[in-house]
Amino acid sequence: MELLRDTNIDFMKYRKFWIIVSLVLVGIGVFAVFFHGNLNVGVDFAGGTQLTLQFREKPETERLRTILSQHNLEDAEITRFGTEDENEVMIRTRLVKGKTEGTRDVIEKAVDKAYNGEQAAGKIDVNRVGADGLAALLLAADPDNRKVQGEDAARAHYADVAKKIMDKRRETGLFTSWNDLSGIPGASPQAVSALQQRAALGAFTVTGVENVGPQIGKELRQQGFWAVALSLLGMLVYIWIRFELRFGVGAIMACIHDVLVTLGLFALFGFEFNLTTIAAFLTLIGYSVNDTVVIFDRIRENMRKSRRKPLIEVMNESINQTLSRTLLTGGSTLLALAALLWLGGDVIRGFAFVMLVGILVGTYSSIYVASPFALLWEQYFGAKGERRAAPARTDGEAQPVRR
Amino acid sequence: MKRNLLWRGLLIFSILAAAVAAALPLDKKINLGLDLQGGMHLVLQVHTEDAVRAETDGDMGLLVQQAQKESLPISGHRISDTSFGITGVTPESRDKISELYDKYLKGGWDSDIRSDRATFTMKSQYATQTRQMAVSQAVQTIRNRIDAFGVTEPTIQEASNNRIVVQLPGVDDPDRVRNLIKNTAFLEFRIVRNGPFPDRQAALANLGNPPSGDLEILPEDVRDKADASKILETVYWVVDKQRTVTGRDLKNARPSRGQLSEPIVEFSLNPEGAEKFSELTGSNIGKPLAIVLDGRIVSAPRINARIRDSGIIEGGFTEESAQDLSTVLRSGALPASITYLEERTVGPSLGRDSIEKSVLAGVVGTALVVLYMLVIYNLSGLNAVLALVLNIVLLFGGLAAFDATLTLPGIAGVILTIGMAVDANVLVFERIREELHAGRTVRSAIDLGFEKALSSIVDGNVTTLIAALFLFQFGTGPIRGFAVTLTIGLLASMFTAVFVSRWMFDLVLSRFRIQKLSI
Repeated sequence: MELLRDTNIDFMKYRKFWIIVSLVLVGIGVFAVFFHGNLNVGVDFAGGTQLTLQFREKPETERLRTILSQHNLEDAEITRFGTEDENEVMIRTRLVKGKTEGTRDVIEKAVDKAYNGEQAAGKIDVNRVGADGLAALLLAADPDNRKVQGEDAARAHYADVAKKIMDKRRETGLFTSWNDLSGIPGASPQAVSALQQRAALGAFTVTGVENVGPQIGKELRQQGFWAVALSLLGMLVYIWIRFELRFGVGAIMACIHDVLVTLGLFALFGFEFNLTTIAAFLTLIGYSVNDTVVIFDRIRENMRKSRRKPLIEVMNESINQTLSRTLLTGGSTLLALAALLWLGGDVIRGFAFVMLVGILVGTYSSIYVASPFALLWEQYFGAKGERRAAPARTDGEAQPVRR
Repeated sequence: MKRNLLWRGLLIFSILAAAVAAALPLDKKINLGLDLQGGMHLVLQVHTEDAVRAETDGDMGLLVQQAQKESLPISGHRISDTSFGITGVTPESRDKISELYDKYLKGGWDSDIRSDRATFTMKSQYATQTRQMAVSQAVQTIRNRIDAFGVTEPTIQEASNNRIVVQLPGVDDPDRVRNLIKNTAFLEFRIVRNGPFPDRQAALANLGNPPSGDLEILPEDVRDKADASKILETVYWVVDKQRTVTGRDLKNARPSRGQLSEPIVEFSLNPEGAEKFSELTGSNIGKPLAIVLDGRIVSAPRINARIRDSGIIEGGFTEESAQDLSTVLRSGALPASITYLEERTVGPSLGRDSIEKSVLAGVVGTALVVLYMLVIYNLSGLNAVLALVLNIVLLFGGLAAFDATLTLPGIAGVILTIGMAVDANVLVFERIREELHAGRTVRSAIDLGFEKALSSIVDGNVTTLIAALFLFQFGTGPIRGFAVTLTIGLLASMFTAVFVSRWMFDLVLSRFRIQKLSI
């Protein structure tokens, strides 16, 4: 199946219009992020605590809010996480002055007290204890009567039982009822009932913690900024070396455009901006420049072939020639990303969104931003970055293309 | 041509075989990041000022002690973390003090000895050394404690700014581990002079008049014998300030059972400690001995007879806390306090969930891309698909060979690479189509296609690699994993698109007479 052979679209014709469109998009993006105050900055950069809890039964966010407000945490963000039946909740609090270690302990203790109450105090929580805690409890109770075989044999046996119970717990995160424990190979009914008597089955378990103190948050912000800035610089230098300055400028303009527009949409959709997001943006920069470079490579080849043709014509020709490649590669990557966005789960969704939008925007910018800007640069500064007295005339004029 | 084909083919197959050998068995060879297998990542700040302060106190105490042996009634007071002063100096004793300074403190301290007092400041080199030692000691202590916990493959490393990074895969009980690591666990034995008192004021009244500088007040949390987590009341004791026997003198500590089957900790002392303990208990029979942990009294049993080298600590322990205390005592006290700057914990079920979802996405994504290539490029699409498969195998082989860690962003990187890997193929195939369109023969179209597309492939991929390089520099953990998979994936895709695809075309062409290329 072939697409787009021998197209002859004059891309450069309405370039002034498209540059304005691009500027408007960038403007909207910047506005959405900086002025609308909309960017949902994650704990990685803002610092704070993010706790993911999994409950046995459907968690009531209102009740959680009441519990937290008793500890001065009423402005915590409480959101449902994952699918309906997973009963997971994410609680997020900002940095609390004076508490470098975050609110993790406070939140956990408060929820523990409210949900597990007094009757579970002092007892081991089967949903939160580790394997050796379980083993020790079972050893003390000795429901399978192994102590007669010797202390060591008994210890080994109960360590094994505890391990099997833990393996089962890892599958779903926690036990929703004591029934979940029966039917675990290796755990006898006596063992389970011993646990039932001596231990408690907590109402929740902690499945994830992100606790970032102020110093680390600040450091990550700085590192993130420099990573993006330096990598843009690196691209500029590389393209300048391989092509010419004007192309370098064009590519970077396209890149910056892509980042800002994608960031704007990202903010609009409310995704959380964290470390993984920076990774996505850096990749986006890489992909966008890659795309732009392919077109530039063709331009360079055509410039060599027809030295007298004005740059604008060469650009049009090259873009038309590479159009099918641009669309096809974009299409293939989009397919892979669509799968990721749809099936990849909450954790990676923001990442997939950035890449998906980024590729769409990046493809657009490789055509409508990179080349027009390179052209503009040449008109105002001349090829190889030389300054001219006045802006040279544009369309149609045969200009000697110097190499 | 035929021979060239053979060599190239052998090269490709041997690389393929190497990759397969490196990557299998898959679950053993590929390191999973903490976000996939579950575990804890901690960044701790070691408060080295504590260690420096302790050195100052220690050296000050040494000077005062030696001076008192020479009957010089001086006393010391700490001025800052790194300096202390001496009062009670006289013009006569000045020289003696100087001598003592020369003998004991010269290496690490600068002195300013006058006729009525003296000031000592820690040399910056000594301070730095102390700080450095505090961090390395902390690393060792933490390592000992975690070893006792039985975590497989923990990572404990010093980082800049007096920090320590700890990574513990597969932890089921993160709270316990955090408390275990952080526990300063400074154990001391003090002789009790008076008590117990129901509150601090009552205890203060009993310090003597004027209050003796040799005594201090310490609290004890009295726990319910039946339920060790319940604190019934807090009482206060008046104890000697002097600590002769401390946790440093311990040889061993282990959990055990007391008379009522309650959990206790048994300890034994090393020979030097036993000496001191024997003297301490022997000369204080009848008085209570306070067992102090981190400034709080755990219990204060009466000394009935001289005790030499072993004893028990009882007082409201649970199984777990007795075990943890033993671990912590055995591993030694932390030389300085620590706070957690950063904690990231992923529960194992969350990790497993992530793997499942992303593998599904990967399989579906790959299937879509394969279909896409076949539809667009017909049989030549098969060429691209085979190249893609080889690409994936090389990617995993590379990950295993470089001992790289696969993280969740890393898996996203794999899926992304699958989408982008076909780019190189597309560049070549489009060029081939163009050349065919311009009327060239199949053979020359293929040759030209590869030749002309090469510069685009290289330039394009180099720019993405630059981005990956900065990602690697900037990132830790998950981001690094992503940068690595992206890099290996891109390099592999360049190899497969340029070398392998070409070989496959050449192979087909050498066997069949192709008039019209299915592309």
